[in-house]
Amino acid sequence: MFTDEKWSSSKNWFIAAVFWIIIGMSMGLLTATKQIWPELLNNRWFTYGHVRSAHVMLVIYAWLSMAYVGSMFYMIPKLAKTKVYSEKMGNFALVFYNIVILEGFFALLLGQTEVIEYGEFPLWVDVQLLVAIGLVAYNLFKTVGRRQEKMLYVSLWYFLGSLLWLPLTWIVGNFPAQWIPSGVQQGLMGWFLGHNAIGLWMTTVGVGQIYYLLPKLTGRPLYSHQLSMIGFWAIATFYVWNGPHHLMNGPIPGWISKAGVIPSIVLLIPVWAVLANFWGTMKGSWSQTRTSVPLRFTVAGTIFYLFACLQGPLQALPSVSSVIKFTHWTVGHAHMGPFGAFSFTSFAAIYYILPKIVGREMFSKRAMEAHFWFSTVGFLVFAFSLWIAGVVQGFAWIEGVPFLQTVLMMEPYVQGRAIGGTMMYVAQFFLAWNMYKTIKLAKLEKKQQAQQQAASA
Amino acid sequence: MERKPSAVLIVALILWTFGVAGTVILPLFDQEINSATASGELRNYQEDSAEARGREIYVQNGCQTCHTQFVRALPADTNQNLGPVTKGGDYKYDLPHLLGSNRTGPDLMWVGLKYNEDWQRQHLIDPQSTSPGTIMPSFDYLSNQELDDLVAYLMSLKPTEERLEEYKKELNDAKSNSN
Repeated sequence: MFTDEKWSSSKNWFIAAVFWIIIGMSMGLLTATKQIWPELLNNRWFTYGHVRSAHVMLVIYAWLSMAYVGSMFYMIPKLAKTKVYSEKMGNFALVFYNIVILEGFFALLLGQTEVIEYGEFPLWVDVQLLVAIGLVAYNLFKTVGRRQEKMLYVSLWYFLGSLLWLPLTWIVGNFPAQWIPSGVQQGLMGWFLGHNAIGLWMTTVGVGQIYYLLPKLTGRPLYSHQLSMIGFWAIATFYVWNGPHHLMNGPIPGWISKAGVIPSIVLLIPVWAVLANFWGTMKGSWSQTRTSVPLRFTVAGTIFYLFACLQGPLQALPSVSSVIKFTHWTVGHAHMGPFGAFSFTSFAAIYYILPKIVGREMFSKRAMEAHFWFSTVGFLVFAFSLWIAGVVQGFAWIEGVPFLQTVLMMEPYVQGRAIGGTMMYVAQFFLAWNMYKTIKLAKLEKKQQAQQQAASA
Repeated sequence: MERKPSAVLIVALILWTFGVAGTVILPLFDQEINSATASGELRNYQEDSAEARGREIYVQNGCQTCHTQFVRALPADTNQNLGPVTKGGDYKYDLPHLLGSNRTGPDLMWVGLKYNEDWQRQHLIDPQSTSPGTIMPSFDYLSNQELDDLVAYLMSLKPTEERLEEYKKELNDAKSNSN
């Protein structure tokens, strides 16, 4: 029933991922539009809260996570110089994972939510998703176990760590709330997942992708192995402590706040180590970004990663937090890592890997260019609208401007966000169309080749 | 270690465990967040009471995606008259917690102090009629029973009288100090 074809897992996970980026971002665009026309599509199922939750959960656990798994089903065996342990199991896990995501999507539209951000699926969905993630991790750990290459390249460190951390973090964040002291304690556990879904899954797999892609795309070796080790262990040490900064200045004791804030600031160290390594590898290759779209996506991803990681520690300072927390700023920041940095590197991974799997170039170079520019310009419009809005809003609250008036003040920025968001959304159709065409043509060409061979034989 | 995946995994697991211990396990032993305040006790709703059902409706309709229940000792919150600064113990009976992370709409920690039942009901059915220009969608799709329950929950979001007095006194002190 499930195919055993070489690289089929990687390819199929990518296809599913791109399907979900369209659905997930539709939900995002609907969320943005509802902030302009609140009565748009307003009913029991598509009420604002449901749509927003569905957007967050789908772009992270459907689009981005599936693109990550697709990348790992290619990069891990390549780095280990071996085959995927079981392509069949990889394809089965994909079908199962997609069923679970669908369940979660409908559960959210029906109003079943665990409330925890980045962990909103209800418990019955969480358990199944854990099994699906477990299957993927098992398959990939087994693949590493059968490696022919003894040295573990840094990307493998990141992938191994992430595949261990995600299921564990998922368990802590989704732990049945009835079994723990409720209230703030549950908030801390929820934010442990909320921040580490980013820190120990999105960031670490994404950085692993970049470490893989940069040397391949530029044809130059990694700048420094030592530096990559420092970066990895520093992320592993400090990221996991970041959760409490989400409740900063709030109802948590000072010591918990400090335990969350200090590591958040220390994170500047690994970020710098990682980026110095990326850009060191880029030395002499910058001009290639003009012609190579995958390389341009990767490098743009590293730049957005830098800015996300400069904002992060800054926002973790209590004084900065006191102005921008709860405003539109946070929404802008929350999109920079998952979209600007790691969706970009995943786009690069798709554009690099897919041609290798199907045996033909991407169908349209111009569609790739359009994908890049719509994504980048759209994101910048989107994000700057929100950042400016957040600062204005934050100071208006401090001035004591009546709340409703601050909402009215935000109107132009909210519209700017929707315009940028529309561009980001449109961009993904170039990706989907290009992928579809490439795969279809590759099949056709293979068929023709086979016919020609049969004819000449 | 550069040749042993198991070693990488073990160290990765240990570092992760430290983080869990520090930010999740240790807080379990903190009295401040694990013993209810008097105002926190007010939120210990009886099973199947109107307030408890209303809270469910609040969660099911995603109110927490736009509204925080989280008052900080900061100018942004005090100047918006959000009421007494919240303490860990105020949330002791919050299951699931509704702290929130975004104020697309105003904070609702003590919203029961601000409006009466009629206003709340009208605002839920037709937000524009009470707050012109608001971007809150209407919840006119809720049944009468659901609206009653939700209003009952919102009206229950109040501190105790003592807490309120204390807060008002602090406000006055702050004012007379600044004059």
